[in-house]
Amino acid sequence: MKRIKVIGTMVTLVCLAAWVEQPVATPMQLQYPSYFGNRFDMPANNPLTEEGVFLGRHLFYEPRLSANGRISCASCHQQEKAFTDGLRFSLGVDGTSTPRNAMSLANLLWVRNFFWDGRTKGLEAQASIPLTDPHEMGQSPERSAQLLQRTKVYPPLFAKAFGTPVITGDLIVKAIAQFERTLISSNSKYDQYLRGEYQPGPSELNGIQLFFTNPNREKGIRGAACGHCHGGPKTFLELYHNNGLDSVPQDAGRAAITGQSFDAGRFRVATLRNIALTAPYMHDGRFDKLDAVIDHYNEHIHSSSTLSVFLQQGAEGMRGNQLGLSAAEKKDLLAFLQMLTDSTFISDQRFSDPFKNQSK
Amino acid sequence: MKTRLFFLLLSTCLLTKAAWTQNKDNPVALAINGEVKAPTKITAAEILGMKQTPAMLKDRDGKEHTYTGVPIQDLLNKAGVTTGKQLHGENLAKYLLVKCADGYEVVFSLAELDNEFTDRQVILAHQVDGGPLPSGKGPFRLVVPGEKRPARSCFQVVEMVVRFAKD
Repeated sequence: MKRIKVIGTMVTLVCLAAWVEQPVATPMQLQYPSYFGNRFDMPANNPLTEEGVFLGRHLFYEPRLSANGRISCASCHQQEKAFTDGLRFSLGVDGTSTPRNAMSLANLLWVRNFFWDGRTKGLEAQASIPLTDPHEMGQSPERSAQLLQRTKVYPPLFAKAFGTPVITGDLIVKAIAQFERTLISSNSKYDQYLRGEYQPGPSELNGIQLFFTNPNREKGIRGAACGHCHGGPKTFLELYHNNGLDSVPQDAGRAAITGQSFDAGRFRVATLRNIALTAPYMHDGRFDKLDAVIDHYNEHIHSSSTLSVFLQQGAEGMRGNQLGLSAAEKKDLLAFLQMLTDSTFISDQRFSDPFKNQSK
Repeated sequence: MKTRLFFLLLSTCLLTKAAWTQNKDNPVALAINGEVKAPTKITAAEILGMKQTPAMLKDRDGKEHTYTGVPIQDLLNKAGVTTGKQLHGENLAKYLLVKCADGYEVVFSLAELDNEFTDRQVILAHQVDGGPLPSGKGPFRLVVPGEKRPARSCFQVVEMVVRFAKD
């Protein structure tokens, strides 16, 4: 009998301890249109929670994570510019420029390999690179964890999100990744059109048609074949292509990661969501305006041994490097690209700077 | 003792160099991973040394071309994938994901590629009409005969992954 009492007390204590220790984080469900599909993995060791995302949002806007205390993720990924910075290259803590253009952030849940060259799998691995790169934020995760540990704000936020007030670099990265998974852009005019809530004008409609159609001269079908790589409502496929920017690629691109010569000058196909807000364009930000991008695909493709087979002259019913779009057709394409701007996304309070109008 | 150690070190160095040279001259052309006996890396020279089979394909130019290469089943056998007589029961719920250098991916069920199920031979080709594949499509591409669209006959294949459908 005594034994049963002791065991009973122990069980109660263990349950109590478990209850006290247990993170009380609330699971979060993401809302997204069915046409985005479900091809993504949520890491089992970093499930999405309300508290994790809330913490991640703070960390995304936290300059203490940089070596000079002045740069946060949001410095190069500004919400009003669809999480870009409007620059060709961004300035890091050491005053040097990044080698490539800061990518826009939207619908990252569906991206499997990150950066222009697809070097990392998963958002957790992605987030740790700019945090530590000496030419970007330049601070070790250990140092960042130490600095945050000394604040009043962060230990309780970590406790709520992860069940422990002890801050580590790993948890910092996990929280940022959680926040980034929530950056879903799905309320552009194009989405409204797909939901049957917006009737596009003639120019927009023709733009949609051109964007998603492969041209066929024999059958008299006009098209710009953009959808071949920017296919589906997500407007990107996870592909790497040399899109003919240079006859001798100035940046090895994907080849630097794979070591394969046939990957020279290949870069990841980026999303076109909010593209009107994310100038300048391409991995090196060489084009200031979307018109220049359309002109490039229409009439300035440079041949090289690794040029995408889909952009080569006379490419099997696809198109040559002279697409032959008229001025009006270019305007229509532009009208479609502008339909991809999601004003809800860039003003959504859930993604905004939590420190604004609030002293730290 | 010292001499022995010296020779041991020397032979290690030579072996390492030999492995490195082989690696440099014969880079891995294809990796086979997933539900395999052992993850396998195959060099271009190994693929060219296997039994070659022709396969016809109507390309996007609308013309029939003769491709030469190795049946996928032979490659899968090298990695110990459940093919032929072993392809029954739950193994029929396995699929092959073919990955290309540009990120393009296509899927086959294992039975689609197996000579116990079909006479169609899908090959990993390195030649078209007796010549090398054009740049951007080689060194190795898939040739899937008898399909209305050549969309699964993908270019620059670099990896094959066998998985169980888990739904």
